[in-house]
Amino acid sequence: MMLRGYLLRRILTSIFILWVVITLNFVIFRVIHPVGDPSQLIIQPGFPPEAREMLREIWGLNQPLFPDQYGKYILNLLTWQYGYTFSTPPRPIGPEMAWRLRNTLILLGMGLIGTVAIGLPLGVLAGSRRGKKTDVLVMGAGLLTWGLPSFFLQLLFLLFFAYYSNVWFGFQLMPFGGVMSYPPPKNPIILVGDVLQHAAGPVITLILISFGSWALYARNMIIDALTEDFIVTAKAKGLRERDVLYKHAFRSILPPIATMIAMAIPGLVTGAIITESIFNWPGIGQWYIAALNTGNHPVTQAVLFNFAFLMIIANLLSDVLYGLLDPRIKVGVRR
Amino acid sequence: MEENTVLDVKNLKKYFMVKMGFLKSLLSKEQLYVRAVDGVSFRIGEREIFGLVGESGCGKTTTGRSILRLIEPTSGQVNFKGSDLIKLDPTEMRNMRRRLQIIFQDPYESLNPRMSIYDILAEPLQLQHIAEGPDEIIGLETKVLGEMGLVPPEEFLYRFPHELSGGQRQRVAVARAFIMTPEFVVADEPVSMLDASMRTEVVELILGMVQKLACAFLYITHDIALTRYICNRVGVMYLGQIVELGLTEDIVHHPHHPYTEALLAAVPVPDPTARRREIVIKGEVANPINPPPGCRFHPRCPYAKGRCGKEEPKLSPSGKGRTVACHFPLE
Amino acid sequence: MGLLDVENLTTYFDILRGEVKAVENISFTVEKGDAFGLAGESGCGKTTTALSILRLLPQNGKVISGEIHFEGKNLLEMNPEKYRKDIRWKKISVIFQGAMNSLNPVMTVGQQISEAILTHENLSKEEALDRAGKLLDLVGIGSERVERYAHELSGGMRQRAIIAMALSSNPSFIIADEPTTALDVIIEAQVLKVIKDLQKKLNIAMAVISHDLSMIAETCDRIGIMYAGKIVERGDIARIYKEPFHPYTKLLLGAFPSILGPIAKLSRISGFPPDLLSPPPGCRFHPRCPYAMDKCGKEDPQSIHIKGEDHFVACHLVE
Ligand SMILES: Nc1ncnc2c1ncn2[C@@H]1O[C@H](COP(=O)(O)OP(=O)(O)OP(=O)(O)O)[C@@H](O)[C@H]1O
Ligand SMILES: Nc1ncnc2c1ncn2[C@@H]1O[C@H](COP(=O)(O)OP(=O)(O)OP(=O)(O)O)[C@@H](O)[C@H]1O
Ligand code: SF4
Ligand SMILES: [Mg+2]
Ligand SMILES: [Mg+2]
Repeated sequence: MMLRGYLLRRILTSIFILWVVITLNFVIFRVIHPVGDPSQLIIQPGFPPEAREMLREIWGLNQPLFPDQYGKYILNLLTWQYGYTFSTPPRPIGPEMAWRLRNTLILLGMGLIGTVAIGLPLGVLAGSRRGKKTDVLVMGAGLLTWGLPSFFLQLLFLLFFAYYSNVWFGFQLMPFGGVMSYPPPKNPIILVGDVLQHAAGPVITLILISFGSWALYARNMIIDALTEDFIVTAKAKGLRERDVLYKHAFRSILPPIATMIAMAIPGLVTGAIITESIFNWPGIGQWYIAALNTGNHPVTQAVLFNFAFLMIIANLLSDVLYGLLDPRIKVGVRR
Repeated sequence: MEENTVLDVKNLKKYFMVKMGFLKSLLSKEQLYVRAVDGVSFRIGEREIFGLVGESGCGKTTTGRSILRLIEPTSGQVNFKGSDLIKLDPTEMRNMRRRLQIIFQDPYESLNPRMSIYDILAEPLQLQHIAEGPDEIIGLETKVLGEMGLVPPEEFLYRFPHELSGGQRQRVAVARAFIMTPEFVVADEPVSMLDASMRTEVVELILGMVQKLACAFLYITHDIALTRYICNRVGVMYLGQIVELGLTEDIVHHPHHPYTEALLAAVPVPDPTARRREIVIKGEVANPINPPPGCRFHPRCPYAKGRCGKEEPKLSPSGKGRTVACHFPLE
Repeated sequence: MGLLDVENLTTYFDILRGEVKAVENISFTVEKGDAFGLAGESGCGKTTTALSILRLLPQNGKVISGEIHFEGKNLLEMNPEKYRKDIRWKKISVIFQGAMNSLNPVMTVGQQISEAILTHENLSKEEALDRAGKLLDLVGIGSERVERYAHELSGGMRQRAIIAMALSSNPSFIIADEPTTALDVIIEAQVLKVIKDLQKKLNIAMAVISHDLSMIAETCDRIGIMYAGKIVERGDIARIYKEPFHPYTKLLLGAFPSILGPIAKLSRISGFPPDLLSPPPGCRFHPRCPYAMDKCGKEDPQSIHIKGEDHFVACHLVE
């Protein structure tokens, strides 16, 4: 009952926050800062008035802002349809959003999983060998790549693995960009391999620039955890070092780590914007930049909605995970 | 003692609101309270050291802080030399602060690590306009440090708390209270963090200063054995209430309240040949949000009878200068 | 030869500013079924002694010299893996200082007790949990609490759970480092009663570490008084409390107030314990000792056996 009440409350607040975000999104782009009538912006002066009216009809611009446009905007978001792009001809946003979102999620998901899967164990290892060679090596490497600007590392990757590898060895290790070859391979297994090959560049660079912070974080938490009395007790019980490290120390730092993972998602999302642009990865980040530049408001709004949605889901997930992993948390009260 | 009463606390109460989640507060009609202090009364005379003893969570600290209005009490009176502290407005209270001082348990936390001893002691002097110029301040400071046995005082003035040992730090905390020549001081477990061999000196310093300044002193502690050496009278607290009050020696040798008896029986004795009587009471202190009806001690009391669970015993006289809240006080 | 014989143990810590001489040349014996108290003020090296026996010193700590014999075997020379399997918990278990934190907050009490059992015995998880429940019954908190987490128990119950855990593999020796510090007197009395009863019933030897001479008086048969890394006096507790020979023991005992008898003046010791990076030469107590003689600042007093008694003193006054 307690967990259910807690969940219910968290979901309600999440919905509220989401509503605030999308309303701000509407107010900023359509009320405070409308870049003029988009039909003026993109429609040639010579357009027949009837055609113009038709476009305004499609976009709903002929209706009052409140409640009609706002209501339609909300409805669009809720049905994951988002209306039509401000372009001629207007294209429906929904289907494009679907595949772009999928691409972004592939990138973010693999990047995040890879970063966590590499950063955490390395950090735990370093923490358990504090001051030893392993520690120095791991932390040195982590800090080095962490300090690099991401675009710089990514351009280096493109330069060497896409360009020079071809020049020097006559073999292109990595494509210049995109999600898959064109035309896409028919065989599903080959298709997966093809996508992986395309994703390798952005994903590996994402991992390289961010595993260091995870390793550092995990290392410091493990070092703290290892001084706890219950760790000394676990050793005194005769547990193997490995069990002390993973069953006690690592397990006890999992709750904050789960929160950290979720909290890292916003940063990753913004990171994805740059990465997608560099690797020409057709995700929503790349789309967002393009839409901002052309004043394509329905698209920016739709992308922002999805960013916000992702973050709120991540946040909710982190709280629920914390609650599940840490028995001291009940009904949303953190001690 | 009656005529020179410095502090007269009457029916002091402090209830803390229990924080509840948003949804939960919608569902339950009742706001719950922690009844940390629930009707405490006592007096302290000039040059008198009154002890409040009891187990963790019984409300000692809350009592001390409510008296000084470091937390706002829920109700009650605190008559201090003719004025009720609870009724003072903020300006009056601020002016009153010089005359009221507190010494905390943990010198590591109560002294700002970034201030030198000079600054720590000068701050209250300047705030209350007791001394202004550096010469006057240094004069007062060296005097009080000397009284605290921190000699030569000049050597300590410009040190920082981390450069002092635990015992020395606590002396600075004591000095900070007494440099204001207060008329009433609360000390909340002032020596419980110190090693036994260093406690004695700090206790003696406190005793000496109380006599010298002729102030009233409230000594809060869980160490009932030590109160024999410090306090003229003690009040024994249980779950927010005083259950027994009287002269320390009387209470220690002849407790009238069953809780006092249990508490005393549990105190270890530094003598292996005098091992304790085996009347260890069972169970643990009840929840102060929902204290048991009747006598709050009755679920654990070995002498409890039917009446105890129904009727709340009032503090009433039980022998010379002693009051006890029990339906069946011990002889 | 006793169950545990510590002989001339010396343990130092390396820190940037030098070597902390935390334990210096200490010796004591604990017999089978005996309760030995190791007493002394904060920082005198009690925990360091325990960690040396348990071979759990932090990285910068090292046993410099000495021997620790347990059931005749030298623990310090034992192969680490053998030590882990054969000694830890199986023979020697421990109740740590600050027991509030000795339980892992994210594991149930039952898991933690059964984990200790499973490390040393070939049982199924169910059997181990079952035994954990029985142990919780034994210490009086009830087997229904096996699935509780530490934060769901009161301080006293947590402490009992830890005692249950210490008993879980039938050890012959338990080290209890400040087992009741931070507990209220009534709860402390309850916990001490559990410890004493079980110790007698199961005939377990104990080393009780505490700064509280009253608590040691309640629980132990023999005592060692430590000051600044050394044991200055040890032997039969009744004898030493009645007639301490060492000035430090005398003063420390006199500083403990009693609830019984008339109010005697409390003694005090002027000055502060020395910095163990550079302890004073000769007797480490001499700068604070009211009886100090010339010799005390120069020569280290040897531990002298009082003839015919279980009583050892290291003081030049007693020669
Ligand atoms: N700020 C607060 N909010 C809610 N409850 C509080 C607060 N401060 C104290 N309490 C509760 O009031 C009761 C009395 O606390 P108090 O600190 O006065 O006890 P104490 O006798 O000083 O105990 P100790 O010996 O542990 O210092 C306890 O149940 C405590 O949990
Ligand atoms: N890891 C360490 N590195 C450096 N010095 C240490 C370390 N651990 C302990 N010491 C020092 O060794 C001395 C003995 O410490 P120890 O913890 O054994 O004292 P103790 O008698 O258990 O004290 P307490 O009653 O405060 O627990 C102290 O001076 C302490 O500062
Ligand atoms: S040896 Fe000397 S200094 Fe040390 S305790 Fe004995 S008399 Fe005092
Ligand atoms: Mg308190
Ligand atoms: Mg210790």
